[in-house]
Amino acid sequence: MTEEKVIRVDPVTRLEGHGSLTLKMGTDGKVKDVQFNVESTRFFEKFLEGRPMEEAVRIAPRICGICPIPHHLVSVKTVEDAWDVTPPPAAIKLRRLLIEAKQLSSHAIHFYALAAPDFVFGPFADPAVRNVAAVLKHLPDVAVQAIKLMQFGQELCKTIGAKAIHPTTAIPGGMLSPLKEEERDYWLGEVPDLMDNMMNTVDLAKQVVNDYIDVITKVAVTPTYYLGLTNNGELDIYDGKVRVMDPEGKIVADFEPHEYTDYYGEHIPNHSYATHIYYKPAGYPEGIWRANTLARCNVADKMATPLAQEALEEMRELVGRPSHHTFAYHYARVIEMVQATEWIKKLLEDPDIVSTDVKLSDVEPKAGEGVGIVEAPRGTLLHNYECDEDGIITKANLIVATNNNIAGIEKSLMDAAKLIFEKEGHKELDLPEPMVKT
Amino acid sequence: MTMAKTQTDSEHEWTPRIVAYCCNWCSYAGADLAGTSRIQYPPNARIVRVNCTGRISPEFILAALDMGADGVLVSGCHPGDCHYTSGNLKLRARWAIMEKAIEQAGIDTRRIRLQWASASEGQVFADGVAKLVEQVKELGPIQEEWK
Amino acid sequence: MTDKVSVALMQGSSCWGCFQSLIDIHLRLAEVLPMLDIKFWAAVADFKHEHLEGYPDKSIDVGLYEGAARTEEDIHHLKLMREKCKTLISFGSCSCFGGIPGLANFSDIEECYDVKFRSNKTVKDGKVPTENVPPIAPVIKPNNQYVDFDVYLPGCPPTSDLIFKALTTLIKGDELVLDPHTVCHYCNRDKQETPIPEILRPFDGNADPDRCLLEQGYICMGSATWGLCEGQCVNKGATCRGCFGPPPPIMQDQGANGIGMLGSYAPLEPEVIQDAVRDPLGLFWRFSYATSHLGSMRIRREEAKNQ
Ligand code: SF4
Ligand code: SF4
Ligand code: SF4
Ligand code: FES
Repeated sequence: MTEEKVIRVDPVTRLEGHGSLTLKMGTDGKVKDVQFNVESTRFFEKFLEGRPMEEAVRIAPRICGICPIPHHLVSVKTVEDAWDVTPPPAAIKLRRLLIEAKQLSSHAIHFYALAAPDFVFGPFADPAVRNVAAVLKHLPDVAVQAIKLMQFGQELCKTIGAKAIHPTTAIPGGMLSPLKEEERDYWLGEVPDLMDNMMNTVDLAKQVVNDYIDVITKVAVTPTYYLGLTNNGELDIYDGKVRVMDPEGKIVADFEPHEYTDYYGEHIPNHSYATHIYYKPAGYPEGIWRANTLARCNVADKMATPLAQEALEEMRELVGRPSHHTFAYHYARVIEMVQATEWIKKLLEDPDIVSTDVKLSDVEPKAGEGVGIVEAPRGTLLHNYECDEDGIITKANLIVATNNNIAGIEKSLMDAAKLIFEKEGHKELDLPEPMVKT
Repeated sequence: MTMAKTQTDSEHEWTPRIVAYCCNWCSYAGADLAGTSRIQYPPNARIVRVNCTGRISPEFILAALDMGADGVLVSGCHPGDCHYTSGNLKLRARWAIMEKAIEQAGIDTRRIRLQWASASEGQVFADGVAKLVEQVKELGPIQEEWK
Repeated sequence: MTDKVSVALMQGSSCWGCFQSLIDIHLRLAEVLPMLDIKFWAAVADFKHEHLEGYPDKSIDVGLYEGAARTEEDIHHLKLMREKCKTLISFGSCSCFGGIPGLANFSDIEECYDVKFRSNKTVKDGKVPTENVPPIAPVIKPNNQYVDFDVYLPGCPPTSDLIFKALTTLIKGDELVLDPHTVCHYCNRDKQETPIPEILRPFDGNADPDRCLLEQGYICMGSATWGLCEGQCVNKGATCRGCFGPPPPIMQDQGANGIGMLGSYAPLEPEVIQDAVRDPLGLFWRFSYATSHLGSMRIRREEAKNQ
């Protein structure tokens, strides 16, 4: 290899978003640069300006159809923060049920449809086989189990949010519609089945982990900072403080959402429309962090529910804390699914969940600024709006989940590319792709 | 804008094209009266008769502008005098919202005009047309908005 | 293999919601997927763009295009889909009407760049990216200004039931017939056709769950919106924001019609109503600005600027 070479993979498949990969090889055969090119952007920050705050809650979900519920909820929390509004406790429970239901379905679809094909058939299998349709054909039981988990999550979201994709019921001051008793009864009836499917998934994940333990612990071990919400040290996806852990595993920051500008840096790369978010005190690129299911499992002291806690302990025994193993994301995802499932059960059993006291009637806009944070399946999500006295948005800053991870993805791709191209000569180009799909 | 206007003017005499939606019971009759009484008013308006201004959807106005009208006039019965009681009040409310939207979209709202003129007010009708034509002349052809 | 219907699924600039809604037919996937011969679907199968480019023209039976054409690459893929597919479906409101991404046309592209790349709370002096990313079009033109579609399937997103119905119908080669009613038709709320004394914001007070929201003063787009969603929001307490676009003929001006209806219900003094309706452009044209009259004037203006 004597010439400089540029390799493009376009598009990166089975990934939410619009991206391609660029690998640059130097004349010496060394990998010079790896780029993850996000190829489009829609300018939400700009067109939220001029909209009434409460309408942002309806518009923002369209940022992502895979995680519209976190966007809906982070948006409403941002407005409430700006206007000093605290919704009734039952409304918060409903919102939590909504976000946990989404966590479940999103992780399920991700685990089974986007990541499992690589594991089940191996990352070097024929593209025609390596997809969800093939899982359906060759492993119908696994597929049915997966679909049932997704279905449970999505349909519960629809019950609470009116729509599973781009929900509409959260409003500054609460929720527009309480959960009806008969709806609660129906979903409670579905819980035992849910628990079964969940436990089967845990077994499958463990089996996958065992089969691929080599890949997990050797390939794509990329130390970075980690970012995630915790509530009294427990992993939380709706509320809490923001934690940052350094690559050695030390907690270096634990802050309130409105302090984010002290900790969040945003780097504008020349090769991607998605910006790179990093830990500002450490600078770029040293402060590159990842925020995601594994990041949350790293920063949290413990899980909020018992079965999930057991699973976390098992994982920590295997890969430690922090785990830098990119493939361990799949394991962490299952742990979070367990927590979501336990939350759903607990909330449905709570008599308060059918309370009709879910909305304040005297919400008043005021000039100010709000910051909201929730966890989306793919990482910490932050909205920050400023508004005038009428509650019309004058400025918006949105830090979406994925942007926390892109620099980290490039970093792990670099490691992987070096492994493939420098140490083992030329192999299939397909391997780096599963690493993007975290 | 002024430069572009002069250019157009010198190339071939540009005159504003105005679409006027007139209520059958008052302003259309008023326009008629203006004609028969030989009241002078600019010949730029193409009059479209509607049964009541309450029949007018904002789409009529927006479509006219989109299709190249330089200005749009709506002329109806005075508030309180609508032959269908409140058609004009409904239109007036629509108009207010639409006007704001036009402004938000960055198009000069002096291109549109809402006025009330009864059947006997030929002069009021004619003055309204003249006023709009004057405004639109100042702004130039609608194509100026695209520059 | 021969009985299968070949399909290609492509995304422009979008949120993935429409494809997620397709996945949400859940167990019925087992019914639909075996009938399909997937020729391109980046979301779930490892195809590259060269695969699609290599197929003969009109060799794919059904194509779905999700999203708006924001970048030069989106535009290229949209045209490519038209070349390769016999039946091309405009999938979702972004694709049909510009949708939410079309709201970027409220501003000049440079203003968009400023907020996104050059200066905001966490960015200072950034530059617009140029390496290995497709150029961004200065204005979002609706997809139907680039290509002709055979079927429009609006919704943000289209419901899973609607998608299932459309796909199974088209796979069989039948004509897709959809009911033309508006959202109001499917709304369970009681309408008394009383004028409203006051316009409220969605968070004001507590709405009567059984009465028309518009009649209570909450602006609702139900009467100007195609009811293919069967009124899912209005039946759960939330006002309709018009995400399915206008009813047939679907290129009529949805925002204008929404304002028309509001004016009928609220014959208030101009100052009062202007004060209460704070953001008409962003409310009545939220999903269809790019295909509306005002939107098309804006597009012409941006194009003139860039010539
Ligand atoms: S129509 Fe709605 S759901 Fe579909 S891609 Fe556009 S924003 Fe997403
Ligand atoms: S306007 Fe809205 S609330 Fe009223 S009937 Fe129509 S859809 Fe229902
Ligand atoms: S009720 Fe309106 S906003 Fe809700 S899904 Fe239907 S069309 Fe969309
Ligand atoms: S009849 Fe003239 S405006 Fe209604």
